[in-house]
Amino acid sequence: MAPAIEAKNLVKNYVTWERKGFIKRTRKIVQALRGVSFTVEKGEVFGLLGPNGAGKTTTVKIITTLLLPDDGEARVLGYDVVSEAEKVREVIGVTLSVEKGFFWKLTGRENLKYFGMLRGLKGGYLNERIEYVLDLVGLKELGAADKLYEEYSLGMKARLALARALLHDPPVLILDEPTIGLDPASARTIRELLVKLARSGDKTVLITTHNMFEAELICDHVAIIDKGKIIAYGTVEELKRKAADRVSLELIVSIPKNMLNGLEEKIVALTGLREVALEAIESGRTRIRIVARPGEEEYVMEKMLEWLYSNNMKVHQVRIREPSLEDVFIILTKGGGRGG
Amino acid sequence: MGVKSTDILRAGFFGMIAWLKNNRWLLFSMIIWPYLTAFLLIALGMIYGSFETYKERLNIANPILYILAGSGIVMSSLFIIDTVATNALYHRWLGTLPYLMLTPTKMYKVLVLEPLPGALLSSTMGILAVLPGAVYFEGLLGAGKLLIVLLLVYMGMLPLIGLSIIVASITLVLREESNVAAFLTPLILLVSGVFYPIDVLPKVLQYMSRIFPTSYIVEATRMVATYSIPEFRALFIVAYALLALTLFYNGVASIALSGSEKMVKKSGVI
Repeated sequence: MAPAIEAKNLVKNYVTWERKGFIKRTRKIVQALRGVSFTVEKGEVFGLLGPNGAGKTTTVKIITTLLLPDDGEARVLGYDVVSEAEKVREVIGVTLSVEKGFFWKLTGRENLKYFGMLRGLKGGYLNERIEYVLDLVGLKELGAADKLYEEYSLGMKARLALARALLHDPPVLILDEPTIGLDPASARTIRELLVKLARSGDKTVLITTHNMFEAELICDHVAIIDKGKIIAYGTVEELKRKAADRVSLELIVSIPKNMLNGLEEKIVALTGLREVALEAIESGRTRIRIVARPGEEEYVMEKMLEWLYSNNMKVHQVRIREPSLEDVFIILTKGGGRGG
Repeated sequence: MGVKSTDILRAGFFGMIAWLKNNRWLLFSMIIWPYLTAFLLIALGMIYGSFETYKERLNIANPILYILAGSGIVMSSLFIIDTVATNALYHRWLGTLPYLMLTPTKMYKVLVLEPLPGALLSSTMGILAVLPGAVYFEGLLGAGKLLIVLLLVYMGMLPLIGLSIIVASITLVLREESNVAAFLTPLILLVSGVFYPIDVLPKVLQYMSRIFPTSYIVEATRMVATYSIPEFRALFIVAYALLALTLFYNGVASIALSGSEKMVKKSGVI
């Protein structure tokens, strides 16, 4: 039996032109994918994780037939994405951006009707499907089905994007960052829905995300992609074992804007650890995560707090905990081991 | 499952109707546009000479109706160019282009068929908006003449669609958000001969006017306006010219679009 999605050694290079002066431009090759391979089995939620620019969207575009690979091959339910592109498009439901992709002056329901017609859905069946998906994603409950798209909140837009992906009842869903920018409640709704769809047994879901918490929560298998290459592949538990010999330090701090520039490098220099990640969270606060080896956590935390206080930065929360998928991600993408 | 051409046309038609339903001011402006243009042109024209001068120069019995109908034709042509040629750019801007391309059929089929109902509807509205004016000035004869003009506009639509697809292909391939149609629109207005005779233009522009379908429709409108039998026969010459342009533009368009599909999918500009 063919897997739901199969990518074999995908290679993609982009040609960009760098402007040098008013007329002169130089040709530059950007290696977006450098031999990406993975398999998604039927009925699972698969997460393709990676930082910005890692190659997630390029992979999705190739699998959804929107982009031609330079080398390698990809199949969806056994159909080749290049030579059987139309067949592939029949069996996939796609969201590429939750922020746009609809007509602003049409209501949610009208937008779905338009895209349903483009898929060849007709009459009573189309209307039934529209009602079903609007109900499923909760837009009916929110009273937003007949609102103009321009009046939608980001959460509503994300729900409508998912509704469109589900409209023609495809067996495979390919969703590029489906919860990006959403408030926690909307993101939770989307996540719960995806898990429900996959657990019902008739849908396979491939999502890309850089939200490790999300991946840990809903994915059966994950692949971590960085600089156009898959650097880790397995179940969440398998990947977490890669960080079993580490501890994770987490600090939530208010940092003045002028201090943010080069902060990561400063922390690396201070602690001697390369596995550092910063994340802006709500109310202007920053989450600092440092992955350390057992035994050095107290020393590192002491050094950090001393430095933060001496620079008049307010520390809101301090935690030392077991490693998560996010720590694995930090270890793998930051190079691992001791820096300095 | 498969998607038929009629499914794409239905979607385009539904999208246009829903858009107009939710944008009533736009609908209103489409209807009054030929009247506003005609008013402006007549007001400007009066500075340079009387109606009699205009009648003499253009050999037109009713300049007001002619300008009104001419404005409708130009508006319809521009609608077609605008709807078809800028369609890909419009969808790219909205973020809907990838979803159009995810339709399980050939990309060129979607890009050609999806905007057609909108183009047809807009151009029909552009001409029919003039109907009250035609009936006011010439009664049922005026309405009849306008229907012939509408048929001519439909004939002129075929080469214009080809031309628009060529523009759409170029627009798709260009990495910048360049609106190629923005260059074409004033050129069509300049050489269409709708507001002044083509023979007052420099020779280069006169030759250029022969490659744009709008010039033929305007010429045919002038013939319909005079309504004499020998000139009515000349309408067939216009029809042949439009047919030749249709074959030429649509032939080039099919090559351009299949080429641009490959380039777009290779470069990833979507």
